[in-house]
Amino acid sequence: MNGWSRSVRAELMKLTSTKMPWAFAVVLLVIAAINAAAVAFGTDMDGSKAFVSTAADQRSLVAFAGNATMIAGLFGAIAVAREYGHLTVIPTFLAEPRRRRAAAAQLVAIAIGGAVVGAVGAALTIVAVAAALPTTDFPFLVSVAGVLQVIGASALCGAAGAVLGAGIGTVVRNVGGAVTGAVLALIVAPPLLVQLVSSAASWVPSSLALVLSGVTDDVGGPAAVAALAAWALVPAAIGVFVVQRRDVV
Amino acid sequence: MGEGLELVVDRVTKRYGQRAVVDDLSFTVTPGRVTGFLGPNGSGKSTTMKVMLGLASPDGGTARVGDRAYAELPEPSRTVGAALETNAFHPGRSGRDHLRILACATGIAGRRVDEALATAGLADAADQRAGEYSLGMRQRLGLAAALLGDPPVLVLDEPGNGLDPQGVRDLRDLLRGRARRGDTVFVSSHLLGEVEHLVDDVVVINKGKLVTTGSLQELQQRTAVVRSPRPDRLADALRNDAGATVDVVAAGHDGPDAASPHLLVRGLSLDEIGSTAFTAGVELWELSASAGSLEEMFLRWTAATAEDVAAPGATVADQRRDEEVV
Repeated sequence: MNGWSRSVRAELMKLTSTKMPWAFAVVLLVIAAINAAAVAFGTDMDGSKAFVSTAADQRSLVAFAGNATMIAGLFGAIAVAREYGHLTVIPTFLAEPRRRRAAAAQLVAIAIGGAVVGAVGAALTIVAVAAALPTTDFPFLVSVAGVLQVIGASALCGAAGAVLGAGIGTVVRNVGGAVTGAVLALIVAPPLLVQLVSSAASWVPSSLALVLSGVTDDVGGPAAVAALAAWALVPAAIGVFVVQRRDVV
Repeated sequence: MGEGLELVVDRVTKRYGQRAVVDDLSFTVTPGRVTGFLGPNGSGKSTTMKVMLGLASPDGGTARVGDRAYAELPEPSRTVGAALETNAFHPGRSGRDHLRILACATGIAGRRVDEALATAGLADAADQRAGEYSLGMRQRLGLAAALLGDPPVLVLDEPGNGLDPQGVRDLRDLLRGRARRGDTVFVSSHLLGEVEHLVDDVVVINKGKLVTTGSLQELQQRTAVVRSPRPDRLADALRNDAGATVDVVAAGHDGPDAASPHLLVRGLSLDEIGSTAFTAGVELWELSASAGSLEEMFLRWTAATAEDVAAPGATVADQRRDEEVV
């Protein structure tokens, strides 16, 4: 195993050796439970269950990718910012003093963690919705391919969101500030951007998540992947640039 | 391992804003010896160590481990073991997991984790969350991390803080043992009583500048205590005939044995002082190196540099207050 692979593995061990993954697992379970409750108890305006009557409706309901972007964004922001808060960045940079490599290893590990958050969140939501559908008159209608696309899109969006959050966490270095930054970047800023430039509506993370989940087709798949990558990689690149130049104090 | 490398700090300057925290600092730490890095709070010790380990970039000068910068070492964690902060771990992670992660990142065999924990005296608490550790246990965890790669160079920032007496003795034995086998051991501390029993050499800084460096024994012998029934005449002879710096200390000051006035003489060996006294026809009651007074020497060194750098009108006390604030 070469040095860089070891660094990635060590970063993955960091992510799994505290209670943080369990906290996020609880969040994913709660979201899945809310979806199940919505199917079981929710109705349309006319009192019907029309919102789960077609495969497209159900796919829209279980499309977790938008949530994955936001939740994994917080995951990435916290995972990196706590490194600075707890000063564990010191042993990290002593072990791998070439900081660009250390930061890249951390981003890869966090992307993997974000992908897992997204995929697990999507899987739990699908299972919860499927379990709740027998309370309605409709069976689970999403095809296997559709399920796989929803899970894949959630994993991809989770990875992107985590990298975005990690980039913000690297720059801000404070857990509270990093979480605030991730919320601003993923929840507050996109609607403001759309208000300023209406044509940007198709290119904000939530819209791209729907495209990748097969719910909408506002833009092509490759374009959506590229746009999502840009959302993630720009803050990550800024973070790597900053970490290279900044003293560890 | 027994192949310690020199640590070379060569004209390093580090500024934060307009303030030079480290100012044109040069010294060398040699293998096979324990070197103490001494200075008041805020004198630039930790910043210097961070520069040496590539965690802070100097504004001028270079710091090397052997013949290369820390970041250019092929296996940095196997070459230099460092403990800089007592809290550099996640409080929710066990001590063992903390070390397992470091071992993984550096390609160090997993069995070394248990060995390092045992060496640092933390084996029984290895699976406890690090956030529950006492200050002494946190110091031990930092030491275990530094020892993980069995490196020939150790750089430790205040490793004795919070250790109980047994822990202090264990640390001293460990570091002396590492130096005996040829390792380079560089330790900062403000616990001068401990340092005195630990180090071979000292590097003393104040306000980022080098105050003095060298063998502790030699430095101690540079100041001699002389008692004589005719202290004033002897002081004149030492000053005027031999060019020494002499302070006359009144009886009852500067130590419990000072029942009569005594002289503190700098700049002459004991032999030279004896010869000067003999030539001057002055009887000596005591002629000894000023041993056992690192604290006194430290206060003299740092007070002298504080005076050197004091602004017009500022007092040494003012300077010390500034240092505490830093």
